Amino acid sequence: MATEAPDPTEVPDPPAAPEAPAAPEPPGASEPRGATGAPGTTEAPGAVQAPGPGAGGTSGAGRAPGAGRSPHRAAAPGTATAPARAASARERAARAARRRRRSRPWLLLAPALLAVGGLLLWPLGRVVWMSFQDYGLREIVGGSTNYNGGANYAEILGQSYLWTTVLPNTVLFAAVCVALTVVLGTLVALLLLRLPPLWRTLTASTIMMAWAMPAVTGTYVWVWLFDPFGGAVVQGLGSLGLVDPAATNWFTGRLTFYAIATVNVVHHSFPFVAVTVFAGLLTIPRELHEAGVVDGANAWQRFWSITVPAIKPVFLVVVILSTIWDFKVFVQLYLMPGGNGANPAVLNLGVWSYVESFAQRQYGMGAAIAVLLTLLLLAITVVYIRALFAEGREKGESL
Amino acid sequence: MKQRVRPPVRGVALALVTALAWTVTGCGTGSASDDGTLTVWIMEGTNPDAGPFFDEVGAAFTERTGARLDVQYVPWPDAHDKFTKAMAGGTTPDVAEIGTTWTAEFADAGALADLTAHSAAAEGEDDMVPALRTAGTYDGKLYGVPWYAGVRALLYRRDVFAEHGLSAPTSWPELREVARELKEREPGMLPFPVLGDSEYTLDAFVWGAGGELATPAGDGWRSAIGDREAVRGVDFYTSLATEHGTSAQAATTWDEADLVAGLTNGKVAMAVAGSWTPATIVGDRPELAGKLAAAPLPGSDGGLSPSFLGGSHLGVFHTAADQELAWEFIELMTSAEYARKWADQTGYFPGRTSLVERAAQRRDPLVAPFARQMADAGRTVPVTPAFGEIQGKKTLARMVQAILSGKKSVQQATREAAAEMDESFGD
Repeated sequence: MATEAPDPTEVPDPPAAPEAPAAPEPPGASEPRGATGAPGTTEAPGAVQAPGPGAGGTSGAGRAPGAGRSPHRAAAPGTATAPARAASARERAARAARRRRRSRPWLLLAPALLAVGGLLLWPLGRVVWMSFQDYGLREIVGGSTNYNGGANYAEILGQSYLWTTVLPNTVLFAAVCVALTVVLGTLVALLLLRLPPLWRTLTASTIMMAWAMPAVTGTYVWVWLFDPFGGAVVQGLGSLGLVDPAATNWFTGRLTFYAIATVNVVHHSFPFVAVTVFAGLLTIPRELHEAGVVDGANAWQRFWSITVPAIKPVFLVVVILSTIWDFKVFVQLYLMPGGNGANPAVLNLGVWSYVESFAQRQYGMGAAIAVLLTLLLLAITVVYIRALFAEGREKGESL
Repeated sequence: MKQRVRPPVRGVALALVTALAWTVTGCGTGSASDDGTLTVWIMEGTNPDAGPFFDEVGAAFTERTGARLDVQYVPWPDAHDKFTKAMAGGTTPDVAEIGTTWTAEFADAGALADLTAHSAAAEGEDDMVPALRTAGTYDGKLYGVPWYAGVRALLYRRDVFAEHGLSAPTSWPELREVARELKEREPGMLPFPVLGDSEYTLDAFVWGAGGELATPAGDGWRSAIGDREAVRGVDFYTSLATEHGTSAQAATTWDEADLVAGLTNGKVAMAVAGSWTPATIVGDRPELAGKLAAAPLPGSDGGLSPSFLGGSHLGVFHTAADQELAWEFIELMTSAEYARKWADQTGYFPGRTSLVERAAQRRDPLVAPFARQMADAGRTVPVTPAFGEIQGKKTLARMVQAILSGKKSVQQATREAAAEMDESFGD
């Protein structure tokens, strides 16, 4: 309903421009899923960037320009007796007004764009520019350039180390972490939903502690637990006679190294998923579940046919965010014994980029790896965003 | 209404642009010394209480030159990045303490001033510790003046050795025997940990066997880690762990900080440790006072194995407006009085041979052996930026880890490491 109501407060109405009632859609008004919180906010930028006529949301976009034109046309015959100049002057004024309206959002966006451009896009551009050079300390000091074409990319993509070690490490580690994080987070969210208020508060604040712990601190705790020389886990298993502490070092094996890193990352990130999914769960009307119970669906069936479809956008968002985070895990790997480059079998793209550029001072090479990591992340994000929007359209049509 | 809305927007934009412009130009004028101030970067933490020392130096400096001293402290872990950023932004200090392995790199990049002429005219010229002087020389020119350094030697538990009637080994076979003896008699301790992530410990064994890390070849360098002598050193060092069980798998991922933790916890009986570590260990665990002793690193058939000297140079950046003033400061800092004072406060050795030799005469079992090691058998790694790259890549640490964890044989690991080093020397 909100989409049909012209908002009188939206745009100041200059007397010279009678077509002003063609008020742009209030941003977000055509956004059908405001209730789900997070998904709504992801769409908001789109709505803000182009609030002008003809570029509004999906359902009301066609209406606004039409509504804008019709009063104008209706007025034209009324002024037929007046000189044509008046009409064209008014036309000009209208066009100017429209131009002003169109430029205003950009003006309002300018500070944000300047900040984003200065702090994000410019450095990003520099990284790309650097990735096509053999860029070392000498170039930094002298401010000179040293282009080598795509040699950095050729070297990276041409070595088997990328394909057999770094890329599998990055992708598999991220995939496992995302899957475990989302599953564990969802289970905890379902648990939270069933707990009485006191226990819910206690549980929620306990898991928040894991989230609030800085990654560096958390990593040291896990390293300390799994330390082969006096760490609680190895000593405990050793006293049970399961492992020989003197001959054990889980940080040297690729699988065991990543198993510890996975525990660390999942432990650190599942609370976010739990809290977000929990917020989503609260929006599901109780009647849906009651109807399911009446129809004889068991908990498993109700979860898959009621809960999951109802908060699918929430799942999409936590999966996207977790994927992005887990692809670029750095601290948790770099700080583990051997993770700083001493054990080449355990590097992922992020750590490799750092080791290449900052430890070896080959900034061009590191930049090229960073660009590849960014492209990989962009590709994944595009796939997810499209899935998210497809989901949104589907939902918009069904409402 | 529009008339009222717009100007503020423009105003904001204008203010923003102005602010940006200010910060941009602000970056360009970092630390110029045009007002009679000398900006100096000093590493943080070497001297636990550096403030009073530099107050005193500052007063003496002002008295001597009339200029003010502005000392800024830089934490070691961030230091290299900070130097790099300062070079990129043109905000380098006038004088800085520079890690001995960085000097060649910065000199090669063109950031440092040539100090050869100044040094030749000064009195301390012949007194510089040779290995530190080598590390500060690039392309035949001196860029870093030796300030202070530490050295690695054998550190052991005096009480444990006395209990079992052992004495410090004086050759490699003895070292192995003592370690095996300790393994039998002190099962709760690591007799001699073999560190997987400490290149400098390995270096001593490579040099001790008569090998080299790399040798000059033509215009550049060639890796020598795959040569017969070097391989023998690598083999002896790693075999202590892989064949004689004097270490544990845990040490495969240890660096020197982990070793210090092991010594502090009383879990390590003997190790290759830095001259600066006993103070830290005893400070963290006072009951170990008097229970630690040091000995120079034994050579393979007696004598000494050379060991890496790690420390700091003082260098002058090209950006320094008054190069003479900068040199005056370096001269003051490396004068016998302040060099010794700094050494006494930090537990490192001064970069002057005469002062190190004097320390070697002292009776302190934790000072004299280290001083002897430094004066008689101190070495430095190849002085080329490419070697910094190799260290960053951890080529040698990778090699040791692969051997210790059983992934590669000594032959295979050294051969591959040599190839990797040559690749870095190549470009």
